[in-house]
Parts: sequence; C-alpha cells; structure tokens
Amino acid sequence: MSNRVRRDKEDGRKGWAMVFVTISLFCIIFFAARGRFQAPVSSQAVSLVLSPFQQAVSWVANEVHYVTGAVWEMATLYEQNKMLRNEVEQLRGINLQANEALAENERLRAMVGYTQSARQFDMVAARVIGRESDTWSRMIVIDRGTASGVKEDMPVVTPQGLVGRVVEAGPNSSKVQLILDPRSSVGTIVQRAESRVTGIVQGDMDNPTMPQMVNIPKNADVVEGDVIVTSGFGGIFPKGIIVGLVSSLKNDDGGLLKIGVLESAVDFQKLEDVLVITASREAPPEPIKPPPQTPGTETDPQAQAADKAEAQQ
Amino acid sequence: MSGYCKLAIFVVMLYVLQTSFFPLIAYHGISPDFMLLLTVSYAFLKGTEKGTLMGFITGLMMDLATGTFFGIHAFTHLIIGNICGRFANRVYKEQFFLPVFASLGVTTFNYFILALLMVLLGYRFNPISNVQVTLLPMLIYQLAFAYPVHYLTYQLDKKLSLKDTN
Repeated sequence: MSNRVRRDKEDGRKGWAMVFVTISLFCIIFFAARGRFQAPVSSQAVSLVLSPFQQAVSWVANEVHYVTGAVWEMATLYEQNKMLRNEVEQLRGINLQANEALAENERLRAMVGYTQSARQFDMVAARVIGRESDTWSRMIVIDRGTASGVKEDMPVVTPQGLVGRVVEAGPNSSKVQLILDPRSSVGTIVQRAESRVTGIVQGDMDNPTMPQMVNIPKNADVVEGDVIVTSGFGGIFPKGIIVGLVSSLKNDDGGLLKIGVLESAVDFQKLEDVLVITASREAPPEPIKPPPQTPGTETDPQAQAADKAEAQQ
Repeated sequence: MSGYCKLAIFVVMLYVLQTSFFPLIAYHGISPDFMLLLTVSYAFLKGTEKGTLMGFITGLMMDLATGTFFGIHAFTHLIIGNICGRFANRVYKEQFFLPVFASLGVTTFNYFILALLMVLLGYRFNPISNVQVTLLPMLIYQLAFAYPVHYLTYQLDKKLSLKDTN
C-alpha cells in the first residue's frame, strides 16, 4: 500500500516536471522567435563539436557524389555526345550574335562615355558542410568561421547570385540563413532601367524553393522575366547582387499589392561552395561636372577670370 | 566506453549523416529526419522517461546546431518521446511493425504541431500546398528510413542492456 502511494507521488512529481518543461519550452520558442532569448554559448559549443564530423562526412558525401556522377556520366556518354554536338552548333550561332552585340556595346559605351562602376568585394570561399532538413526554415552550415574573418550579418553569395547571410559565426563554422528562409528579408529592386521598383524578397513556406518579392504596388511596372537584384537598402547586402527572375505575379490577399514569385538565381539544391563577402567597397561617385552654360552668362569664376584677362590684353 | 557514451556517439553520427550526407538526396530541400525516428524508436524501447529525455536532447541538439527557431524541436520531440514511451510496455521489443509505421503518424503529428507553432508565431501559409510540398515527401523518406534506424537503435540497446546485466 505504502509502495503504491510512493509510486503515485513519484509519478505525480514527474508529471508536474513534464508540464513545467513543456510550458517553459513553449515560452522559450516565442521569446527566441522575437529575439528576446538567445543561447549563443551552448549553440557555438554544439557547432564546435559537430563541425569536424560534419566536415568529414560532407567530404565523404561529396566524393561519393563525384564517383556516382562519374559513373552516370560514363553510362550516358553517347547521348551526351549527341547533345553536346547539337549544343556546339547552337553555341556557334549564339557566339556570332554575342560578338556582334559585344562590338555594339563597345561602340555605345564609347558614345555615351559610360564607365561601369567597379564594385570590389573581399571574399572568403567556404564549403557547405551541413544543411538543415527542417521543413520550416532554411539554413546551411559552412566550414568558415571567425578564424577566417567571417562575422554575423555578412552576405553569402555564389557567382550565380545571392545565397543569404551569416546569422551565427563560430570559430570554424558558421550558420547561414538562406534567402528561402521565411525569416529572411532582402531589400531588392527590379534591374530593368524603366522599372526600378523596390520590394522585399522573403522565403515562402508554401513553396520552399521559390522566394517571393512582396510589397509591390499593384500598378507597379514589374513583369515576368524581370531580373531582381539587391537594392543595398538595409546595409547588409551590397547593391546589385542578383537574387532571381520574376517567374510569375499574383495578387496579395489585401488586394492592394502584388507578389512576385521568384526563380532564384542560385540552385540551392546543388549548393556546395559559397563565397562570404567580408568587406565591400562601393565605387566612388562620379565627380559632378558643371552643366553647359549659354555663352555670356558663365558663372564659373575661372572662366570669368580668363575672359577678363583676355579683355585686358 | 560507457553505454551513455556509445549512445551519444550514435546520436551525433545519425545527426551528422542527416545534415551532411542525406541533403545530397534531398527532394526540394526535404530529407529524412533521423532525430525524430531515433526518438520514436528509443521511446518504444525504453519507455516514457528515457523517451522524453531522448526527445528533448535530440530536439535541443537540432535547435542549437542549425539555428532554427530555438526550442521548437526540443518542444515537439519531447512531447513525441513522452507519448511514444507510453506504448513501451504494450509492444514487444522484437516486433518492428509498430515503431516503423508509427513513424508515419509521428511525422504527421510533428508536422502539425510545428505548423500550429508557426501560425502562432505569425507566419502564414497555404496548408494544402504546404502538405503536398513538404509533408508527403517527408513521409516517404521517413517510411524508407524508419526500419534501418529502428534496427540500429534496437541492436545498440540490446548490446547496452546485455552489458548492464553482465
């Protein structure tokens, strides 16, 4: 009898402990989501322990991927050869057109006197060693951390376009929030010169592979196929990095705004190597030139002095 | 090496495989969730207390290692470990049918708790298309990998139990 009472008491205590832990976790989720709770030390410790294993397994996985890829390549060699021959023919034609366009471009540049502003970035190459398989957020782990100069909020790119930003940097690994993550928001602009409509690119939970450009006014000049680049607003992402193409447009639930569904420039399924932008230097602005003035009404002091000197002589 | 140490290495190895190897066969970014499968298997084998603890640890590790919504997996895995652990006395340990097929129900349950939390956090999504895009591929992966994970967990547990009795 006494044993039964003791067991009941113990069960009761465990039940209360379970309820307490569950409620505490429930509260932590909401505090953490609002940015009021962080566990950076333990998080970095876990990353520190896991990253060597992740690096090793990632290396093995890449090797396996490479070998299976090579075997597949050999198996499909004949078909590939046929396709490549066709492609060579097509590319020859495109090459001719491109050369023509290049020559025209050179001429136009010379005519307008336009010099493209050179944007230079300091970059650190990193390998993707881990991916989150969660359905609600999109994060990757890369093999570079504070030891390589990587810090929080640094943009991550590939030659194809924007990948995301570093949200947590450990000593030898960092977590990168992809632009597909619903928590991510990137200030963007339509690249087309006649449009230049701004919007925010966010991850979409309904379609995890295609982010959305939101906050587009309904009458804004955005069409399918428009290239979307970073606007540089917000200070995290430098201006002009390609985010993706507008694949389709739909109306917002409110009816006043449009949403552009984007085909991201980066293939996130095949993301293996990335570049972290550790420093970006914007090109200096063009020097301001005085506008052409009507003869006799010059206000330039140097020109006026020269005129006076001529008159005195 | 102590039993807990072996268990910890097993958990870490499964997690590393989940995050570093299996993304290569991911479909639209979805790959199997070994930590959930491990929680289910361990809870069915060891009961409520250890199942709950395993759920909490695997969930917390996921939250800390990948920087997702903090606490979200610790919360769901803890509940799942607790619920599955309650069935431990009612199933034969040698019987693999229930744990393997329970993984489907558990994955769906886990998905809907997470979906509810996301709605409470203010994120909106279309439930029907979301289920099609994320839950269905996830269920196929879970069904494919539930048996191997449960088998490995069972074998490890058997070895550790034998060692303890000796």
